[in-house]
Amino acid sequence: MAKKTYDLLFKLLLIGDSGVGKTCILFRFSDDAFTTTFISTIGIDFKIKTIELRGKKIKLQIWDTAGQERFHTITTSYYRGAMGIMLVYDITDMKSFENIVKWLRNIDEHANEDVEKMILGNKCDKADKRTVSKEQGETIAREHSIRFMETSAKANVNIERAFNELAEAILLKTAGKEPGDPVDRVTVDRRPTNTSKSCCN
Amino acid sequence: MLAVHRDVLNIVQAKFLSAEIVRSIHLNVFTLEEVWSNENRILALVEYNKSFALFVLIASKQKPTSISDLSVETVIPVDEFFSCDTELVEESQNHIIFIITYKKIKRAFKIEIGLESSNFASEVIRSKEHSLYNKPSFVWLDKYIGTMSQPSRSDVSEQDDLPITRHQIAQGQTSINRESMLKYHLKLKEAEYTQKQEFTIFVGTWNVNGQPPTIPLSNWLAFDDNPPDLYAIGFQEIDLSKEAFLFNDTPREAEWHKFVTEGVHPKAKYKLVGLARLVGMQLVVMVNNKHYPYVKNISVDTVGTGLLGKMGNKGGVGVRLELHNTSLCFVNCHLAAHVEEFERRNQDYKDINARMNFRKSPQAIKDHEQIYWLGDLNYRITELTTTQVKTLLLRNEMVTLLKADQLNQQKERGNVLLDYEEGDISFKPTYKYDLHSDTFDTSEKARPPAWTDRILWRGRGIYQVAYRSHMNLRISDHKPVSALFKSEISVIDPIKYRKVHEDLIKKMDKFENEYLPQVTVDQTEVVYDLIKFREPQSREITIANTGMVPAEFEFIKKLDETSYCKDWLRIIPYCGNINPGNTLYDFDYFVLNLLIVGEKCDVKLEVNLETDHQKLYDILVLHLKDGKDMFIIVSGECQKSSFTSPISLLCRISVPVMQVPEEQWKLAEKLESSVRYSVPRELWLLIDHIYRHGMKIRDLFESSALHEEIIRIRDWLDFGSLDPFPGTIQAAAETLLLFLSYTKDPVIPYELHDTCIAAASNYQHCKQIILQKVPDLHRNVFLYICLFLQELLKYQNDNGYDAKTLASLFGDILLRDQIRNSKPQASRGKANFIYNFLVNDLSTSIIPAK
Repeated sequence: MAKKTYDLLFKLLLIGDSGVGKTCILFRFSDDAFTTTFISTIGIDFKIKTIELRGKKIKLQIWDTAGQERFHTITTSYYRGAMGIMLVYDITDMKSFENIVKWLRNIDEHANEDVEKMILGNKCDKADKRTVSKEQGETIAREHSIRFMETSAKANVNIERAFNELAEAILLKTAGKEPGDPVDRVTVDRRPTNTSKSCCN
Repeated sequence: MLAVHRDVLNIVQAKFLSAEIVRSIHLNVFTLEEVWSNENRILALVEYNKSFALFVLIASKQKPTSISDLSVETVIPVDEFFSCDTELVEESQNHIIFIITYKKIKRAFKIEIGLESSNFASEVIRSKEHSLYNKPSFVWLDKYIGTMSQPSRSDVSEQDDLPITRHQIAQGQTSINRESMLKYHLKLKEAEYTQKQEFTIFVGTWNVNGQPPTIPLSNWLAFDDNPPDLYAIGFQEIDLSKEAFLFNDTPREAEWHKFVTEGVHPKAKYKLVGLARLVGMQLVVMVNNKHYPYVKNISVDTVGTGLLGKMGNKGGVGVRLELHNTSLCFVNCHLAAHVEEFERRNQDYKDINARMNFRKSPQAIKDHEQIYWLGDLNYRITELTTTQVKTLLLRNEMVTLLKADQLNQQKERGNVLLDYEEGDISFKPTYKYDLHSDTFDTSEKARPPAWTDRILWRGRGIYQVAYRSHMNLRISDHKPVSALFKSEISVIDPIKYRKVHEDLIKKMDKFENEYLPQVTVDQTEVVYDLIKFREPQSREITIANTGMVPAEFEFIKKLDETSYCKDWLRIIPYCGNINPGNTLYDFDYFVLNLLIVGEKCDVKLEVNLETDHQKLYDILVLHLKDGKDMFIIVSGECQKSSFTSPISLLCRISVPVMQVPEEQWKLAEKLESSVRYSVPRELWLLIDHIYRHGMKIRDLFESSALHEEIIRIRDWLDFGSLDPFPGTIQAAAETLLLFLSYTKDPVIPYELHDTCIAAASNYQHCKQIILQKVPDLHRNVFLYICLFLQELLKYQNDNGYDAKTLASLFGDILLRDQIRNSKPQASRGKANFIYNFLVNDLSTSIIPAK
């Protein structure tokens, strides 16, 4: 059996209101491309991407979730296995920003306790349509002690950085626990009832 | 068939598994794409389980003698995309061009016209015809893809298309192995991130005849002006004692190692890379300190071929390593002695090759990029007497002598050290000397001098600059030999390597993402027309495979739910497997090209309303194994019906359910309005109809009515039609059973069932339960039905019913189970309970209800 091409596998999750650009962020990160046609995500999809951090090859499995309100109860059941969660809002859509608090509550209720979080204010290329100031984003992030970044999937601003930082935070947390121990396999089990803890535990 | 042809066929067959049968081969094939190349190719048509494939093999020799002479260049499955053709060669009457096309790949080969070519071509054509009638599977080819030889030229464009279709790999159960894929592609792109750098390698060999080291070795090891980058020093017979032979333990190992360490070139510092020893054979590999960080994957192994074919008095010891990006292997051997034993020596050589197994990849000697073979090979000079040899040596007639050298003779015949090169020998034979002298053996035996001690090499970019013996080391009956090489080592440029590596990782990620199962669903929202009681409606959704791999789908249950869909819905099928379209997989570019769209699967979503709902709504989760989940929303409005409504509600409304104003309905639902009827109006209508028209009908409850008839009666009741009863008497009877089976709560509440069954043998107890525990309206319904059944029994001569039959029929309905569709529980007990009320006078029971 050949050695794996990665040392660690991190499962990340993108959540946030419908239309804030979660799928575009993922598409930019995984395929380095952008598409303007909007197709609402009806379900849960993922892509993988391997990055290198501190000499370790880390395979990211990034799950993109449906943002529509009517799917919330279902999508929350996918939170449990995630090691990192990106909360995305749209800087041109105040409502999506206000809902961040609701999403944070969702995380508290359904995700692993030690999940790493990051807030992304997406569409920062649309400066003329901005309704949420950067300070507002920073303030809410500070209040909850979460990392924050403004991004643009369209203009490719901070996308790679955001994922790298989130992964790094998970790596630091993981590192102290089982040094150099490669993760064998993290099950991509969507059922939160699954009691097998992921590798960061 | 020519003998040569048959011999090669056997060798080619040995390259494959026994179940993979080489049907036909063609020798001496030359490719037209590389005009400068005169590499000899062999075409082989191989069959496995009725599927054929054409292999293009590169033969390192015109007449291959072993399977290591053959490497797989390309594998082409013979299927519907395969075709072959011939073309004439303009400048030659004797040759023909054999053209193979597979999808976008085209290969042309020049072959000689003759029996061989016509036989081969007809076999290929036959296999192609065969493939059309079978559905060949090519999973067996997967294992050969990894062994395909690297392109020898920098121009790899011809190698870019490997015609292995995609779904064959996917169905081969083994998913893409990223690690070997990465390795393979890194090797292919080696030229992009490495540059050749020249390293000097000093290789020495000395049979020390059991003598301990007593003289410094610098005259041998530091012979040259400049220090080499790497040393590989081999000794034989460092210890001839029994202890060494039996226990493979000798103090001489450390002694000779120490002398080597002290004897290396003084202008540089060296570090030990590996030391291998077996009895008297010892190999020390050292590297200049500055190169040490670039040495990796060191491994040593030893092979004994002496006594019993395994003892270590003869055999070989090896050290393998990677220096920068080049794999090196050094083998020090001591082969069988005695003039006449050259075949034994050949065998020893083969055994060493076959049995030496380094625990690092590559594991076999032959698979290393550079191999240096040294030692006391023990080949002698034959057919010449000692005097003749000495005379020829005096006359300096080296050519004559070297022709009589067994190693040269055996090598020429392909029996040993095939493909190895040796530099010109200009030094005197290194065996056998009188001790402490430069005089050839003067003992009684007076053995003829021989070049027993040799150094050979195999691999690209190795240039020998010196090959000599060292006469002034006189403690043994052999003289040490050394060779100095300038060898090209490929050195990695870390920046370029990183770039290539990252690039490959990116491509593999992309590839892996493309490899995920993908489907599309034609609709994610399924809305039904008005849903009515017992009137199933179905909608179809189409799941199409839009990905590259088979998609295994399944509707899965949501958290906290017991089933993947609600009880009012049926999903047919709820799981399945959809094949992808035909795709072409391109190994070198990691590209999957979708050629034909994938298969589709229609899934029927059928609603059937049997309980009271105003609205049906659910989100289905369609899960792809190893892939995404999709949500499908199903919804529909429901039509109100007296069926499925609570008895307590129906008794509170005085008009058909469809005529009830919304507020009145709500009040009745909350039991806030007054009771209008002692039994539901619908129940009365049904029983009254049967009472008037059906009491004498035989097997009244046994015959099954048409579905539409039931629906008509349902609407007649719910809408309150003035039309006559719209169905047969049997339909009325069936509707009555249906009505009682679907009331929101059973006539006898669930929680009383056990008590009823327990009391069944005692009528007084049964009566008490009915009078005291059953709610008023339910009691009314119960007694009303019992009276009706008693009435029915009066006509039992006509209708054929007896009390037991009716009790059993109505027991399961009036005390119906909570979970439907399963075999009724405790039927006998329920029947016994009901029986009491069919055979006893109920008049005293009815009075309190009035």
